[in-house]
Amino acid sequence: MTRYLRLYASFLRFSFSRSLEFRLDFFFRVGMDALWYAVHLVFFGVLFQHTGALGGWNLDQVLVFAAALFFVDAIYMTVFSNNMWMLPILINRGDLDYYLVRPVSPLFFLSVRDFAANSFLNLVLAVSILAWALLRYPEPLPLLSVAAFGVLLLLGALLTYTMGMLFTIPIFWLHSKSGLREVGWSLGRLGARPHRIYTGWTRTLLLTLLPYAFVASYPVYVLFNGPSWQALAHTAAVVGGAFTLMVLFWRQGLRAYSSASS
Amino acid sequence: MIQVHKLSKAFTVHKKDPGLLGSVRSLFRREQVVKQAVREVSLSIEEGEIVGLIGANGAGKTTLIKMLAGIIVPSAGEATVLGHVPWKRDDRFRQQIALIMGQKAQLWWDLPAADCFLLLKEIYRLPEAQYRETLDYLTEVLGVREQLNIQIRRLSLGERMKMELLAALLHSPRVVFLDEPTIGLDLTAQRAIREFILQYREQHRPAMLVTSHYMEDIQRLCERILIIREGELIYDGSLRQVMEKFATHKRITVHLRPDKPVPELSAELRALGEVLQRDAELVKVEVPRADVPAASAKLLQELPAADLVIDELDIGTVIERILSQRAEVPASELPASEPSAS
Repeated sequence: MTRYLRLYASFLRFSFSRSLEFRLDFFFRVGMDALWYAVHLVFFGVLFQHTGALGGWNLDQVLVFAAALFFVDAIYMTVFSNNMWMLPILINRGDLDYYLVRPVSPLFFLSVRDFAANSFLNLVLAVSILAWALLRYPEPLPLLSVAAFGVLLLLGALLTYTMGMLFTIPIFWLHSKSGLREVGWSLGRLGARPHRIYTGWTRTLLLTLLPYAFVASYPVYVLFNGPSWQALAHTAAVVGGAFTLMVLFWRQGLRAYSSASS
Repeated sequence: MIQVHKLSKAFTVHKKDPGLLGSVRSLFRREQVVKQAVREVSLSIEEGEIVGLIGANGAGKTTLIKMLAGIIVPSAGEATVLGHVPWKRDDRFRQQIALIMGQKAQLWWDLPAADCFLLLKEIYRLPEAQYRETLDYLTEVLGVREQLNIQIRRLSLGERMKMELLAALLHSPRVVFLDEPTIGLDLTAQRAIREFILQYREQHRPAMLVTSHYMEDIQRLCERILIIREGELIYDGSLRQVMEKFATHKRITVHLRPDKPVPELSAELRALGEVLQRDAELVKVEVPRADVPAASAKLLQELPAADLVIDELDIGTVIERILSQRAEVPASELPASEPSAS
């Protein structure tokens, strides 16, 4: 574990020194994400001009939900996105070779080696928006609820990565440009709305097989309704299950990896 | 150190007709073709050996190396490298091997080599003192100390290859796979890389498996070669024996006297062997080894000779003939694997 933390520290060092070379990209990313945040906030603002509640939440609560969504997205963009973008290219070009001969988990190496230092400011921005949304919330929030909320959001980021991988790994067999990533991205949009607006089997699906509710909506639900052991166990089971499934799927993918002729 | 028994690898590839119509058709119906890249290869390599793996493009050399390095999983057969099954990718196995591919870079282009090496130090858990000592030794021998802090992309191809070698050997591997380590390099850089590999072998005694299309690499580095043709190992033995077994012919060159008219070759002379060249200056024929004395006498007798030279076929020509199935000895009569020299 210590070794992997040291390795990650090396990845961070290299990523920062590399990203400083591309100033334009740095500002472009900040601008793009700020725009994305603004569009979301305006969208919910407009929505609340026509309704008083969304999935049982008022505007103050939905703002916390939107901020939670930004936070998870910022973590994903900073920690995983560059690596996830490169993965299909590396698999299709047969460029995993050097990652497979190193005495380090190739999944770890390929998932986090490129820290998007360019997105780091976005993470700061997202944390600020989340802090603002929580501080302006008119009612007191118990410390335990906030702590559980924080942990669940981190698990939400891990889940976002896990789901992304589950839809990317089929590339080992499909050899397509991006696997089923677009399908995963479209399904992932279901998680960009409070899960309680869905009813019946759709909601059940979002809390089980396609667990996008756990990305941000369920953590916000726990924040406002108080943490319970059942809620935490449910989240841990779903995220742990999805992650284990992804690791097993990844191993099968590596067995099918055919590299490329030199 | 490396034991391989009947290792095979088959790939399934889709066959598609050319053009748009072929693409549309392939959406609904795809013909799958099984390509046997490696067929029941058996071999063993011992400590300190440098073994050359020779074959035409697509013969299965790289596939074999990738299976032994644990990158791809075989379809059948067994192999152990340092007592480990490579494709199980045990960290203890990966800690002790190195792979260098002349056509694929392992270093990060935007970073100086020194930074890349620091990352490798973490990956291989090298103690600071050992890392410093190995780095000093390798930079000294390869002559790249001045280039350590320059971005990889700003280095010449030869310097880059030296850095790749350095990166691969930093953790003092016991087994090294070198796939075309000198490809694209100029003659000076090729020679430097070869000398370095030999020196490294002397000091560290790793088992090395080398592929190269340059016969010079094979001749200088390897006492033993493996010849692979269409996935099948057709020769495992010494370079010298290849010549003894397959160089069944010699070349006789007669330099003609300039003051004499160019003669017609009689039917008897043409029957001596294959006439490779015939012009106003010389006549060159390839004849069976046993016929060399008689053929030489006949040529001297019938041609206005100023000089006569008898040459062995060079190793490149002999191997090229074996690979292109033009060897004098049919494939079915090629020797089975010999016990490896240790």
